[in-house]
Amino acid sequence: MNRYLFLFLLVVAVSSCKKESDYIYETTPVTVQQSGAVKNNVKSTTEFISIAYADLFGANISQGQLTKLGNVYASFGDKKVVEDRIILNFLNVPGLQIPATPSINGDTTAFVSKTYKKFYNREPNAFEAYYWKEQIRLNANVSPLVMYYVLMTSDEYRFY
Amino acid sequence: MTMNRRKFLKTAGIAAAGAIAAPYILPSGRLFAATGARKVNHVVFCLYAGGVRNLESVQMMDGNLMPNLLNGAAPISPDIAGAMDILPASPLSQPLQNYGTLFKQVKYRRGPTGHYNGHTVAVTGQYVDIDLNIRAHPENPTIFELYRKHNSPQKAALNSWWVAQNLGPYPALNFSSHEEYGAAYGANFIAPTWLISQDGYDVLGNPKVFGSNEKAAISNLQQFVNQNFNKSYTDGSAGVVNDNPDAALLQSFISDLYNKAQGGQFLNPWGAGPAMNNDMYNICFAEEIIKQFKPELLVVNMQDVDVGHFNYTSYANNLRKADFAAAHLWNTIQNTPGMANDTVMIIIPEHGRNQFGNTSVDAYGRYALDHTAPVDLISGDQMARDIFCMVVGPVGVVKQGQVINTAMGESSDVVPVIANLLGFDSSIPGYIGVKDYNSCDLKAAFY
Repeated sequence: MNRYLFLFLLVVAVSSCKKESDYIYETTPVTVQQSGAVKNNVKSTTEFISIAYADLFGANISQGQLTKLGNVYASFGDKKVVEDRIILNFLNVPGLQIPATPSINGDTTAFVSKTYKKFYNREPNAFEAYYWKEQIRLNANVSPLVMYYVLMTSDEYRFY
Repeated sequence: MTMNRRKFLKTAGIAAAGAIAAPYILPSGRLFAATGARKVNHVVFCLYAGGVRNLESVQMMDGNLMPNLLNGAAPISPDIAGAMDILPASPLSQPLQNYGTLFKQVKYRRGPTGHYNGHTVAVTGQYVDIDLNIRAHPENPTIFELYRKHNSPQKAALNSWWVAQNLGPYPALNFSSHEEYGAAYGANFIAPTWLISQDGYDVLGNPKVFGSNEKAAISNLQQFVNQNFNKSYTDGSAGVVNDNPDAALLQSFISDLYNKAQGGQFLNPWGAGPAMNNDMYNICFAEEIIKQFKPELLVVNMQDVDVGHFNYTSYANNLRKADFAAAHLWNTIQNTPGMANDTVMIIIPEHGRNQFGNTSVDAYGRYALDHTAPVDLISGDQMARDIFCMVVGPVGVVKQGQVINTAMGESSDVVPVIANLLGFDSSIPGYIGVKDYNSCDLKAAFY
């Protein structure tokens, strides 16, 4: 009896434990991002304000703040002027998440890449990366704040 | 080569005739038909809007509620007189009608008597027979676009302004969706009582200021990033577009208004104390634009009389405030160098109000008034189509002290009149549908 019981338990143990297979699908990891060439849609007012706030403060804008901004946005006809002013005000608000200049100098290429992905949802092309790297390296006036402002007031930032 | 006198005269004559008759090409390369002579260089169009009934305005059923604009000493009806706010003395030495022509029986001839319809007719010069989509720009070109496209030479957006008392659909009136016009020819729009408010200051009043070296770098970098993107945001989506120097002037203007507001200059700007309402503030800010930019074309509205849907006595009170504001506006124009004696101001409600009251009765026993003349021209209350119009301006341009008591003029006259005053009416293509100036009754105001 004990022998039959032993054999039964052995069969159960062998058949229930199976080594997990590792499947290799032969694909390389990709980062999902959008080429500048296929951004065909203009962000709505709400999208523009909400995304800009989130990009700068790492948090969602409050409903009250969004309503205030939506009203003042509607109250002026030249949207470039009012958007410029919205961004400039954001850049003066405490809590702004922006890298300090020394960290740029440490790895300018990485900073440019990260900033492009943050605001444009894409990598800079080779020429853009080189241009910005040189600007940051050679011109002391091109600070992280300046780069953020330039990208956020650009045409591309208004599209998705 | 010799040229005798006869040949010279013949050649010169042909050349002169050609110069007069032929279109000419501006440095921009655009072909223009020669435009007519201007009567003045500035027009201010004041929409005394919100729905004003002739019974209370020019017919003075409750006394003269508009003593700054209209002659007459008829006292305000005693039952509502006590509810009227105290206003400052008139800024003018005599009622405004004496500086021009008053049309007492003007028609809002067709289409529903809604506020947005009425405003749309006023700024396009064309009736709309349907209830409009209030989220959309007008289909027909506005006076701003006609001005900016057909005036020769073409003028920047800074010369044309639409100053709205409220938001809602009104921001859409600074340009149309017409394929030949649109944002590129639009006016600068501002709703100042929203922009220059505490909320506005909270979110726009404290901008980061870059130094001059940073600004220079920014300018180059902005050019770079925009060149590397294949679309422009300023092709209509961004509304009216000002070039960079003008945009900088606008930023400075907004900052200046916030500074004045923070300094208390708008707390009681006219000495009217608590009587100051939104209409008066809107005109006050329009005056700031006039003083700063001296626009060639400015349209501003008032709408507080629309409280008449619920409270007749407040409607009468707000008629008085709008009256004071309109006179104040003219006084500012006449005290602004560059615009004084070179400006025509046109005042007209967008539509009237009903003959018969609705069911709301105010504390003084007065019935409130709607404005319900629908498109069929029969049903509803057709008194809502009856309005007045006042045209004031320089001696020698506008007939002074003239009163037209007979039925003359309609809402759609205003756009061609403005176009004629600024000298571009003959350049507007006929297929656009704007009325011919020569068939406008309101031309009776001019020499």
